[in-house]
Amino acid sequence: MTSTYLVEVIITNKKGVRDPEGETIHKHLILRKGYASVQSVRTGKYLLLSVNALSGEDAIRIVKELCEKLRIYNPVVHDIEVRLRG
Amino acid sequence: MPLSHAEIDEIRNILRREPTVEELAMFEAQWSEHCSYKSSRLLLKLLPTEGRNVVIGPGRDAPAVKLFKDWLVVFKIESHNHPSAVDPYNGAATGIGGVVRDILTLGAKSIALLDMLYLGDPRNPHANWLIRGIVKGISDYGNRIGVPTVAGDAWFDPAFNTQPLVNVACIGIVRPEEIISSGPSPGDLIVIVGNATGRDGLLGSSFASKPLSEDVDKDIGAVQVGDPLTEKLLIDAIEVIRKRRLAKYVKDLGGGGLTTAIAETAADYGLGAVIHLEKLHTREPLTTLEILVSESQERMMIVVEQSKLSELVEVLENYDLMYSVIGFFTDDGVIRVFYNGSKVAEVPAKELAKPKPIRRASSPPMEALKGLKPLYSLPPEPRYDDAILKVISSPNVASKRWIYEQYDYEVGIRTVIKPGYGDAAVLRLLDGTNRGVAVKGDANPRYTYLDPFNGAANAVAECFRNLIAVGSRPLAIVDELNAGNPEKPEHFWYFEMMLKGVAWMAEELMLPVVGGKVSFYNEDHTGRQVKPTATIVGVGRVQDVTKTTTIDFKESGSYIILVGVTYPELGGSEYLYRVFRLEEGEIPKPRPCSELRNGRFVYKAIKLGYVKATHDISVGGLATAVIEMSILGNLGFDIDLEKVFAIGAQRIDEVLFSETQARYILEVDPKAINNLLKLANRFGVKISIIGRVTDSGEARFRKRDKTIASIDLDLLRDAYRESLSREIEGGI
Repeated sequence: MTSTYLVEVIITNKKGVRDPEGETIHKHLILRKGYASVQSVRTGKYLLLSVNALSGEDAIRIVKELCEKLRIYNPVVHDIEVRLRG
Repeated sequence: MPLSHAEIDEIRNILRREPTVEELAMFEAQWSEHCSYKSSRLLLKLLPTEGRNVVIGPGRDAPAVKLFKDWLVVFKIESHNHPSAVDPYNGAATGIGGVVRDILTLGAKSIALLDMLYLGDPRNPHANWLIRGIVKGISDYGNRIGVPTVAGDAWFDPAFNTQPLVNVACIGIVRPEEIISSGPSPGDLIVIVGNATGRDGLLGSSFASKPLSEDVDKDIGAVQVGDPLTEKLLIDAIEVIRKRRLAKYVKDLGGGGLTTAIAETAADYGLGAVIHLEKLHTREPLTTLEILVSESQERMMIVVEQSKLSELVEVLENYDLMYSVIGFFTDDGVIRVFYNGSKVAEVPAKELAKPKPIRRASSPPMEALKGLKPLYSLPPEPRYDDAILKVISSPNVASKRWIYEQYDYEVGIRTVIKPGYGDAAVLRLLDGTNRGVAVKGDANPRYTYLDPFNGAANAVAECFRNLIAVGSRPLAIVDELNAGNPEKPEHFWYFEMMLKGVAWMAEELMLPVVGGKVSFYNEDHTGRQVKPTATIVGVGRVQDVTKTTTIDFKESGSYIILVGVTYPELGGSEYLYRVFRLEEGEIPKPRPCSELRNGRFVYKAIKLGYVKATHDISVGGLATAVIEMSILGNLGFDIDLEKVFAIGAQRIDEVLFSETQARYILEVDPKAINNLLKLANRFGVKISIIGRVTDSGEARFRKRDKTIASIDLDLLRDAYRESLSREIEGGI
């Protein structure tokens, strides 16, 4: 019996890789408007997939596989987080 | 590439002591192939670099050529092959960033980008991913800095599946009196402007100066992310700095980072420098070594007189650009680097900037014999309807719409001839006159693979023809030689032959090679080199942009004229590869005298208004050229191959698909035909009236009354327009 799972994918640049978009939002918007408590901003890409699978783990496995095979992200540059929306 | 033992000994000799780790890192960065040209420098001297239009030749970040009395054109080519193989999106994007900053160093305004892409088989999943990322990276970066991508070249070949060639060029214009070129003097301050320095791009040039490792993950330090927002601020700030004459010298911090920028500037002007590293703005805590060789993007060095510093700072702050004053130039030729008061490096600038050139061993591999083999037994002639469709739908011939439609090619409203409609792009100067500049980039990896000398010469000639075909006068070129591993004699031979081919043809066509770039180590992790490729970008002078010519047929009833002589030259042709999978044989011979004679004739004929459409003949031969004109003009044609002035051709395909050089197709109004014939006679040019433009909706080749091929225009149009997109989008 399969059921439908919501799987979230979050792709961000790796820690050592810059994120100019995040830096711009941080410096030119947030800090400029006075939110000095914000230390940094990182942006990324968010995907929400609705997957028919046998279990949550199975849904995650399917999504992880497709992200790699279809090159939704570049393992050299990006970190990827795949999780169930619960 | 780490320094060799011999190089470390050499450094000990220069310093007369043991080098510090910082000094070693500086030498490693600067003496890398990428920065120092140590393997290529001796041979590069063969290139003709002078001419009456050359204002600044090779040596600076970008050359400048006189376009008109009151305008200079500044243009440069760069490769970002290695970064694009690891991270196609950012690799290609930062390539654009770098070449735009090179143009900026002379104070020129960037008006156009070109991309010459030599990519893998679109049906290979890895290559497909690289293709998409590269095109998107160029598109996004160009768009965000507001510079249109107007022209280029694209080629698809499995040899580039893991290591693509991403060659990009930028064209800028500047008034001669406003160019930033006075040069630094002792006491002038060194200001680093732009992005904060980080660990990204650490020793990127060393990375580009070695083969790709199998585990690219280890090269994470070499991944750089483009920041077009900062780039745009740099562009705008430097425009103000140029107008207010606040800078004596500007240089990009590219390969080799801070070390290279300072070493080369000091060495070029016989200066030394004092640098205080702790003053540099950094993104994170960095070691002195990291600061010296980081290749963080979007950084530039501005040299300013002490008295003008406050004015410069005001401009930079106005644009919200980060900057630091890190030191000054001295007159003693020694670069001294300090960190919080203690000296970490002390090296002579000249010796650091220019390592001893190396004359590399060079010898042709057995494989090179393929290009010497005469085609004495061709496969039987195919059905020509099929063969034509196969050639027209080849990704190397078919429309590159899939690529250029992702680009913003009109931003800035300068673009007169749009991508796909002319042999070259034409841009307005927008100075109240009709004057403009034509630009084009060309290469044929198959030619240079089979015969690097003649193949590279043909690339120069094709660029020349493309500039002529829009009605411009070719002025100068820059070259990018993409080769394998210089330490392998059988790779280096290709580089050497390509270089000699460019040098020879450029000299013959009187096109100075005002700048260029060499990219070595284009091999995969198994040590196989990609197809060695000589990319040529040229600029031409356009007196009146309203009188330029495009490819498309304009009117039914016009005569179709073939300029030049056709020889049976099918070796290395797209036809042989596409129809028979053959990649061998003598490639078409370069014909410099014919190029000049025919080129001058076509230029004159366009100028006199005899010509309604022009197209040069290159990949795919005569058949491809007329079909492209037909598809773009939405008009048919009727051509009698018997009329083609062909020498020695024994088969139809030797006329239809031969890629003989120095040829053009012209569309000529019947009323102008007599004048054109007279002009051809006067120039001593062979021309043949081969047929007429028709409104029959059909592309027809015949031999007297016998139909050779007759194809519906709609079918051809579909193949030409959609094939590349089908390969890329539907191929997996």
